[in-house]
Amino acid sequence: MSSYVPGLEGIVAAQTAISMVDGANGRLVYRGYVIADLAEDMSFEEVAYLLWYGSLPTHAELDALTLELAGSRALTQAATTALNALPKDTDPMDVLRSVVSVQGVEHRLEKPTIPLAIHATASFPTILAMFHRRQLGLEPVKPRSDLGHAANYLYMLNGKESSPELVRALNTYLVLLADHGMNASTFVARVIASTDSDLASCLVGAIGALKGPAHGGAPSAVMDQLEQIGTAENAERWMREARKRKVRFMGFGHRVYRTYDPRAKILKELCARLNPKFYELASKVEETALQVLHEEHPERPQATNVEFYSAGVLQAIGLPKEYFPPTFAVSRASGWTAHVLEQSANNRLIRPQSEYVGPEPRKPVPLAERG
Amino acid sequence: MNLASVHLHVVPEFSPGLEGVVAAQTAVSEVDGANGRLIYRGGYLIEDLAPVVSYEEVAYLLWHGDLPDKAELDALHMLMAAARALNKAGRGALMATDPATDPMDVLRTVVSAQGACKTLVKPTLDQAIALTAVFPTIVAAAHRRRLGHEIVDPRDDLSHAANLLWMMEGKEPEVGRVHWLESYLVLLADHGLNASTFAARVIASTGSDLTSSVVGAIGALKGPAHGGATLAARTMLDKIGSAENAEKWLREAHARHERFAGFGHRVYRTYDPRAKILREMAVKASPELHRTAARTEELALQILHEAHPERPNATNVDFWASVVLTGAGIPKDLFTCIFATSRVVGWTAHVLESLGDLRIIRPASQWIGPEPGKKPLARAKR
Repeated sequence: MSSYVPGLEGIVAAQTAISMVDGANGRLVYRGYVIADLAEDMSFEEVAYLLWYGSLPTHAELDALTLELAGSRALTQAATTALNALPKDTDPMDVLRSVVSVQGVEHRLEKPTIPLAIHATASFPTILAMFHRRQLGLEPVKPRSDLGHAANYLYMLNGKESSPELVRALNTYLVLLADHGMNASTFVARVIASTDSDLASCLVGAIGALKGPAHGGAPSAVMDQLEQIGTAENAERWMREARKRKVRFMGFGHRVYRTYDPRAKILKELCARLNPKFYELASKVEETALQVLHEEHPERPQATNVEFYSAGVLQAIGLPKEYFPPTFAVSRASGWTAHVLEQSANNRLIRPQSEYVGPEPRKPVPLAERG
Repeated sequence: MNLASVHLHVVPEFSPGLEGVVAAQTAVSEVDGANGRLIYRGGYLIEDLAPVVSYEEVAYLLWHGDLPDKAELDALHMLMAAARALNKAGRGALMATDPATDPMDVLRTVVSAQGACKTLVKPTLDQAIALTAVFPTIVAAAHRRRLGHEIVDPRDDLSHAANLLWMMEGKEPEVGRVHWLESYLVLLADHGLNASTFAARVIASTGSDLTSSVVGAIGALKGPAHGGATLAARTMLDKIGSAENAEKWLREAHARHERFAGFGHRVYRTYDPRAKILREMAVKASPELHRTAARTEELALQILHEAHPERPNATNVDFWASVVLTGAGIPKDLFTCIFATSRVVGWTAHVLESLGDLRIIRPASQWIGPEPGKKPLARAKR
């Protein structure tokens, strides 16, 4: 037995051909393609196809996938009823976790397949849009099969079509976040798949992991911190004082990247274009944060992570900040399901060891003699 | 290994299934596979603990680190009894599911809804107690809805195990059946870093909430390679039918390369100590099924030994658990739910323990895909 490795850092837990995070060189690779080559022109549907099947779709294949996704957007009766039974102020991540669980019950213990992956991925935007409208006291909007994944999500949220620019921005975000190596939520999905459980079980576990602030829960924290800082002029003073109180800067640092996250770079450009007000403050905060962190730990490769500028992009698209993490899930559903399919194709139960750090064996005292 | 990864990384070796990799330090329980020992928190061997403690005492032990005195136990009883009812969201989710839904899917969904919150809350002991208390309510309600019966409300004067049977059946259960069920709940409450507990810890490692960890753990337990194994063992015993039929059935199944359900374990190299206790209990709990099971065990071990004399083949807990749960009157389609009802104590104890030194669990992966950097063909050219 080897010794304890905190956080399993550096331990290879899976072999994968879906995505590779090349931290040393700041590259993210989907199925062989570098993310920068995909982000500009690919639709989310094309990337989902790539992750599921391993190659980019032909025209006919893309049409077929688009049709199948669009045809799977409706929720089951049970899922709709469960969604409407949740209190209106529920965290949308909890709504997603609960309703994905119900939506999946018709496929209990079925072996995960691509059609099931498509079915599940298609339902995420519907769940979020329906709940958002319910929070606002508005009637749900039926999905439109002539719209793509990104466009339809915004349409169902707002009840009207968004501008091509915003649809394109959301699409880019969905492409960029679709997969990212063996992150915690993807790993959970694979652990659950390794028991031969079903796709819905894997997805609810992954949603639960993504909810954590150390994983997908951070984008809203970025917004909160920027709101506290308030203005670019105030940034340096606020941030230096915050560090004295050991306040963490949100949106910086990553276990794997040792250079600028390639996704953050693309989102930064997008943010500058779509959300100049946010960008003015955020870029000043970024500059200051990197400088302060470098002063504190010159040896550490500190870099802006993907959450930082995601916040500005998603805000420009018109999403409320509670919907940032579940929109991350809308994208990552494609990666999670692709990993589950890969895991279950060559399965082995993931059951690590633990190191016992409790007392040596001793005899229990019966209840009557305790106290 | 693919060429791409050779020049990109010095890749550490891949350990399939993370076998032998230490992923956590824990004082909650220890599976000493080489010596066939299971140790619960505080240092108690399962065979010492099982005959003298109730499920509530074990829950207290796993959460707090030592056995409760009378006053502490009474306080826990009261807290648990008070947390048995579903809240509005939990009840809404329960009633939204079709009555024919698999009880494990109902459990996964209702636990998720019951724990749905406005904002993220760090896991606490109070939440662990409340979650544990509500499992029997959900399982019993799923069971009764499936049968087309009215849901029975929990009773706060009954123990955890007795109340579960009460809510399932709507009548006061016999003492013997409560004892068998309770013994099972005690024995299964924790078991090192099994897949569902590990899933719960990975989810907790992101700073997520207790409900998310437990929902993920239910999802993992549901798999036939984990919690579903008890049902598989009982299904096999049903197919065998009688002690007399065991030899013929097992030899034929073996010839078809069918796996025997209820045998083998990743960690134990000797007889599982829980299986030993359950085997003794099975004699009284379910005499008829015990006869079939005892003969099946004898022959299965013999056949497995003949085929692989080098392998330490032993009966696992699922095999004898299926017999004892049958004796306790649990329908087999609820086996995995009852497993979850026990293990939720271990899951929550592990999550609470992990908060002491929270660090995101994010392993590496080994790239086996195509050489990075190929340029995508434009859509029109594909």
